[in-house]
Amino acid sequence: MKPVNGSGCLIVLRDHMEDGQGWGREQGRLVFQRLLEQVEAVPACVVFQISMRGVERADISFTSETLVELARRFRRVKGFCLVDLTDRDVKENCDAAATRKEQPLTVWTRGKAEVLGAQPSQGTREALEFALQRPRTRAAEFVAERPGLSIANASMKFKQLWEQGFLLREESTADTGGTEYVYSRIA
Amino acid sequence: MWVDAAAMERAIQAASAPHGPGIYEVEFHFPVGSKVMIDAAIRILSLANQLAFTTRRVRLIFDEGEAGTMGYLNRMGFFDHLAREVEVMPARPAQSGAAIYRGSNAGLVEIARINKDHRDHQLPGRLADAIGRGCAARADIEELKGAAWTIFAELIDNVFSHSQTPLDGLAALQMYPRGDRLMVAVSDSGLGIMETLRPALLASSPYLAALSDLDLLVEIFRQGISRHGADRGDGLKGSAAKAMKFQADLDVRLPSQRVRLVPARGTYAPNTAYCSDGLPLLWGTHIAFTFRLHA
Repeated sequence: MKPVNGSGCLIVLRDHMEDGQGWGREQGRLVFQRLLEQVEAVPACVVFQISMRGVERADISFTSETLVELARRFRRVKGFCLVDLTDRDVKENCDAAATRKEQPLTVWTRGKAEVLGAQPSQGTREALEFALQRPRTRAAEFVAERPGLSIANASMKFKQLWEQGFLLREESTADTGGTEYVYSRIA
Repeated sequence: MWVDAAAMERAIQAASAPHGPGIYEVEFHFPVGSKVMIDAAIRILSLANQLAFTTRRVRLIFDEGEAGTMGYLNRMGFFDHLAREVEVMPARPAQSGAAIYRGSNAGLVEIARINKDHRDHQLPGRLADAIGRGCAARADIEELKGAAWTIFAELIDNVFSHSQTPLDGLAALQMYPRGDRLMVAVSDSGLGIMETLRPALLASSPYLAALSDLDLLVEIFRQGISRHGADRGDGLKGSAAKAMKFQADLDVRLPSQRVRLVPARGTYAPNTAYCSDGLPLLWGTHIAFTFRLHA
């Protein structure tokens, strides 16, 4: 596992598979245990990029037991995003598995984010798009660009996105001295 | 005379239920001119093995011998998977055609067993590659190949999770160029989907539990319903969604029901002409997909 930008780490899924074809729940559970060991070996790492390079095929059951299960297990605490995902079927299968478990999974392709699986509600969609465009976000920054939106309302949107697994957050001290949350995209 | 799954069902219904009490001897008779299609072959093989497993005397009689459909079945590996206790007339083939010619015909994938203790990791790939070769004339062939792999991987994995009997599951593929279609059959002789699903639904979903077996089966493929709860069941649903994109028909035989699902308005709908309940018992779940060779 290699460290990537800042607090992120890279996991190459193929390294934990027997070959380039991942299918079935049993194989998925086996690979999940290997991924879990990798994650637990670096407790300081908060964001994991999972590279799909070399994964020729992966069915819905396999992606459900591995990628989606991992993201769901660590929701709100650690973030998992996918990179090097070019195969249409693998992507479609990740989407179906993540939708079923109501878990969002962000895929990064040439700096652009696409969310598979669970989708944000209409009320939080704009806030998510805002957050995905910058590494870190505060509710006050979102409000500054949306006149008429209250800080309380914006905070609620970001909190929902964090709870549902779209974003991560950490506590910080606001300029006023109080507590404020800083939200970060999973990248 | 072609014998597909529907013709096979008619033949079994016309006879006494082979799994029935008081039945100790079962004969399958293949008259001159009968040509068994792959969906029927897999179901007959499953049924013969089930009957032999329950200590019944089973006999397959091929009037034309190896010159007829028996020769085809041998080429597909039928007799390699047939229980040894089953009697074959005039005689079992001396050599397995599948063992000699395996993999040499692009238009078929010989019968493969599905056993969770002896996983054939490459089986979904072999079936998908055969679809790729068979349907090469389709413009959407690459997409179809990818989708087909997922469908087979999910179906075969589903067989593993329902294989509560010592009998193997089976899968095979055959192309029918004259009929412009390609058929893939996947069967298991374990507990049927309903037997495992219904008890769980009674507690978790009274609405679904109240549906008839046929309606519930349609919902398994439409919504994805699993005995393991709301976050499972995505495999069969996803497979059906992919098969539907390519306008594949789906024929599903459960222990006593059969349903034919056809694509209609973006989802699968039962073709009522081919749906029947109260059929003679056949253990397990038997699924056959039919794809067009030309889109």
